[in-house]
Amino acid sequence: MAPAILIISVLFGASILFGLAQSFGMMTGTQQETISLAAYQSVFSGQGPAGREFWSSFWFSLWVATASTFFSAIGALAVAIWLSDRKKKSQQIDTLALNWNMAFPHLVWAIALLLFFSQSGFLARLSATFGFIQTPAEFPVLVLDRFGIGIIIDYVTKEIPFLTLILLAVLRSQAENLDVVAENLGASRWQQLRFVTIPQVMPALSAGSLIVFGFIFSAFEVPAILGVRYPRMLPVLALDFFLNQDLNRRAEGMVISFVITVFVIIVAILSQKQEKGTQQ
Amino acid sequence: MKKLLVFSLLLTVALGACSVLGSSAQPSSVEYDINDWDSVLEAARGQTVNWYLWGGSESINDFVDSLYGEALKERYDITLNRVPVADTVDVVNQVLSEKQAGKDPGSVDLIWINGENFATLKQADMLLPAWADKLPNSSLVDWDNPAINRDFGTPVDFQESPWSSAQFQLVYDSARMSEEDLPRSYTELQDWVKQNPGRFTYIAPGPGAFQGTRFVKGALYEVSGKVEEWGTFDQALWDEYSPLLWDYFNDIKPYLWREGETYPKDENELHSLFANQEIDFSITQAIVGAGALIEQGLVPDTARAFVFDNYMIGDFNYVAIPVNAPNTAAALVLANLILNPELQAVHILPENGFGLGFGIDINRVTDQDVLKILLDASQRLGVAATDPADLAKSLVGDTAAQYQGLVEDGWREFVLQK
Repeated sequence: MAPAILIISVLFGASILFGLAQSFGMMTGTQQETISLAAYQSVFSGQGPAGREFWSSFWFSLWVATASTFFSAIGALAVAIWLSDRKKKSQQIDTLALNWNMAFPHLVWAIALLLFFSQSGFLARLSATFGFIQTPAEFPVLVLDRFGIGIIIDYVTKEIPFLTLILLAVLRSQAENLDVVAENLGASRWQQLRFVTIPQVMPALSAGSLIVFGFIFSAFEVPAILGVRYPRMLPVLALDFFLNQDLNRRAEGMVISFVITVFVIIVAILSQKQEKGTQQ
Repeated sequence: MKKLLVFSLLLTVALGACSVLGSSAQPSSVEYDINDWDSVLEAARGQTVNWYLWGGSESINDFVDSLYGEALKERYDITLNRVPVADTVDVVNQVLSEKQAGKDPGSVDLIWINGENFATLKQADMLLPAWADKLPNSSLVDWDNPAINRDFGTPVDFQESPWSSAQFQLVYDSARMSEEDLPRSYTELQDWVKQNPGRFTYIAPGPGAFQGTRFVKGALYEVSGKVEEWGTFDQALWDEYSPLLWDYFNDIKPYLWREGETYPKDENELHSLFANQEIDFSITQAIVGAGALIEQGLVPDTARAFVFDNYMIGDFNYVAIPVNAPNTAAALVLANLILNPELQAVHILPENGFGLGFGIDINRVTDQDVLKILLDASQRLGVAATDPADLAKSLVGDTAAQYQGLVEDGWREFVLQK
């Protein structure tokens, strides 16, 4: 463990320090370097180009991350319960099917969604060819949309298999006959689910969901591909300001990155606590 | 465990301190005197020049390797190491990071650059100063032209040397539309968009999407009826005309593709909407018009370029040398080579895959044989190109640099977020 922690904390620690320094207006590469809170002020006050977008981006990120996590958790719970009832023989095939999905990077998955669901995409053309709609452009807007539906679809379809694997690991490793015992004691199918299965998986599900939430909140590529120009998720906004031609703007990009970092650290701590809670 | 954390934290701080303090410069290149070109050639002999340039086009990559790579080797015994980058801003960040890390010599010798990336490196004092006018071929460059001595309004100060030129043009599909129906001004475009809802969009102005900014600036010229005035910064002028500009774009917004809810983020996204027939116009900057795009298979073979009657912004693109370049002499030789008139004649032809315009002023070429080659080449730009006379008639220069940020931020605030 120790060497790994050392390397990770040096590498990440250094970049966080550099990022912090830049957010305070240091190391901009320009001659006029002064330590100031100007970037923080302009981001949080809602003034200036970064500020005007910051809060809408923040709420948008929160919405996308929350919705994606919620639907992924519900979906994973349903799939895991369905799969855990199946016979031993098919278990390997189930796991393989879930892992197969995880083999696709988010980048590939997002572009695939774009090719399938955009208004000039595969499904739009197919629907137009078969006469369901007049022109491909009538196809409903599912990606590159104002409410992040495309982004949410991407994350939900990718995270359901991830969370399902976590839940299946719990369900399959538990003493097998808990639900049989419940059944013998006269519990209905619903009661088994409500009082035996769900309490069993709940700690793993909430810890897993927090990981998923933290990941979605801070990931860049999917909203960059499937999102609209406004509102944008925080990582997209941060990079845009970091790459601004005006070097002084980069401080604002770093402030936004730092907000993301703090948020994710909080989520990680919560997730740790959750896990500890289950072990006791 | 705790000790370990404290230790690694200390190490981190120490590392950070090292890279900030340890930036002592050391001379890197072999001695040469820039005013004595032979000494530059001598110093460059045997060097490898690391040329960082946008590598998104396979045809440009091949063109650079074969044309310049071979000429450098044969004539000057210099090896060309072309380093492809996804976006020039990546090189800018690399050079800035090297500065922050105190890395001297760095790893970049020459950058294909213009506009905001040049402004960024100039602002950071990371460019070799005052060299471009010292190149022998610099006599062919029209340095008095504001379109050359200012880059997006930023004074060039001989910190970069031109390579080629470009001009904003629109692209249509001749299989779908006839030439007579094309809009020829921003006002006519406004009517066209309203009559054809959902069939037009433009690139969202912003960092890394200068084509979108340029399209909006063209409209600024038309709504204000002024061009020259925008060459110097004047806040009052901006305050007077920018509301009219946003009115124009808000007026067409409901009739745009996706009702202006979102916009393509770059040229590739626009080309793909155009190729998918979701919209009827794309854009290009190349002197060969749609020719280079057809070669790359981005647009249909029937695509053709056209311009409005006025306000089509043109500019030059350049090469620059970072101050910490490891092989400055070789970079100077390459910057001089790309201005060679015979190679300029090769680079404009569509079949060579580059397709941008002259960087030199061909009227300054005195050798009649070479001039003939240049004139011949400019007659063979292909059917997908805009008529050079139309290009020349509509050509205007870019605005002062300060308007770049105002246009981008203003567009986001008053058009996109409305």
